[in-house]
Amino acid sequence: MLTRREFAKLTAAGTFTAVVSRPALAQAKPKVVVVGGGPAGGTVARYLAKDSAGAIEVTLVEPQKEFVTCFHSNLYVGGFKTMQQITHGYEKLGAQGVKLVHQAAAAIDRERRQVRLADGSTLPYDRLVVAPGIDLKYDSVPGYSREAEELMPHAWKAGPQTKLLKAKLDAVPDGGLIVMVAPPNPFRCPPGPYERVSMVAHALKRAGKTKAKIVVIDPKDKFSKQGLFQEGWEKHYPGMIEWLPPNVHDGVKSVDPKAGTIVTGFETYKDIALANIIPAQMAGKIARDAALANETGFCPIDAANMKSKADANVFIVGDACIPGDMPKSAFAANSQAKVAAMTIRGELTGARTFPARYSNTCWSLIAPDDTVKVGGRYENKDGAIASVEGFISQTGETVAVRKQTQEENIGWYDGIVADVFG
Amino acid sequence: MGWRLALSGLALAAVIAPATTTHAGDVAFGEYLASECVTCHQRSGQAHGIPAIVGWPQDQFVAVLNSYKWKERDNPVMQTIAGKLTDDEIEALAAYFESLDSNVKKCADQKPPTPC
Repeated sequence: MLTRREFAKLTAAGTFTAVVSRPALAQAKPKVVVVGGGPAGGTVARYLAKDSAGAIEVTLVEPQKEFVTCFHSNLYVGGFKTMQQITHGYEKLGAQGVKLVHQAAAAIDRERRQVRLADGSTLPYDRLVVAPGIDLKYDSVPGYSREAEELMPHAWKAGPQTKLLKAKLDAVPDGGLIVMVAPPNPFRCPPGPYERVSMVAHALKRAGKTKAKIVVIDPKDKFSKQGLFQEGWEKHYPGMIEWLPPNVHDGVKSVDPKAGTIVTGFETYKDIALANIIPAQMAGKIARDAALANETGFCPIDAANMKSKADANVFIVGDACIPGDMPKSAFAANSQAKVAAMTIRGELTGARTFPARYSNTCWSLIAPDDTVKVGGRYENKDGAIASVEGFISQTGETVAVRKQTQEENIGWYDGIVADVFG
Repeated sequence: MGWRLALSGLALAAVIAPATTTHAGDVAFGEYLASECVTCHQRSGQAHGIPAIVGWPQDQFVAVLNSYKWKERDNPVMQTIAGKLTDDEIEALAAYFESLDSNVKKCADQKPPTPC
């Protein structure tokens, strides 16, 4: 018989997992269900299938047959990418061993460890990955609603909304007024609204509509890469963009989608040619319904492994989780997904596991070949994802550096979509 | 803690306590670390805007990562990534990415070519 000390030694060395727990688990093929086929869910599913080489049954539940990436959807708005270039199918994931179920997940039964699908059938799981992304809190902007998104698009979930925003942008006359209501923290893609403003300004400038005006009504006092964006706006789009913090506008009091007006504490904007309302956000409904979210609307996780703090059989990855110091980004989701996939393989097949490590970079295009980036490395610190080291582009960088950064941005996109969708 | 309790918690304990028996040039460890790299540097070796890093000789791989680690080369993304890597981790990555060379070739040789 082993002494306690010998046991501790073996456990620390990791050898015990392979010797003891694998036979006990090998009786039935373990099942993992992944809810949500975005950068988070796609990456977990792909890495589990690829690295377990068939030892785990991996099912990806995603109602859509194609995924339009939010990342680089601003480049579509700016005319730098086509819709086709930011749209990806799931066929390669299927070919790499992921079982695809193109239905909505209706509910999670954590007691019975099963997911109920829209058609009433159920999928049992040994481990569940919940990656539904965000839902919008439409009523966080008074007068805004789901129906109103056709008149005043948010375009914060890519696809038809993005197309609608672009169509409305193309129809803005020279001298037209564009108003963006920016979201409060925390939200998907912190530099996203400001990259969008840049791309809207670029599209207008290229169309010769430099008399158009873009007003940003922001509930925040400051925003991601603020100095870099504001420097770029002055350089490329002088006089076109007006960013207003809360002490200047005193809050959005109401929007009237039919009349096309937005009222703040200090001003009423009428005859708006394009209103882009980006409301407050929360974890996708299925996560909230399964009591995986806390009072913030997002889901607490353990940074050691991306497990839900509410259920050790459930992992929350991507925009739905509370990622500590990480932003809600596709890069972050992809990074978190790899930690979750590694942990799941360790638990279900006895695969080797390593300490969690996370990284992120967000590139933002301000004007053609003028791109900036922010990013960092993160580790588990007392259960939260904590920043270890960070970097950000500098104001006044050379044209060559910014061009190089844009080349990275384009290269990263190709890399990450290959990593997520196969 | 009683012995039985210790054993029943075994699977969990094994996950919480990470494998620490890694050694220089450990390909499996390198593969895990590499998951951070392949978000940008494609595992297939394709490169648009971000250089391919598969199949590099280990010595060259170690030298390049160290040049970012010591901030001799100036890309901040790579400085941040490399800055926190230990020598063992850099060697594990070098071993893994060198090992990918033959895999890429194997995949290319198959008819029809299969994704790697």
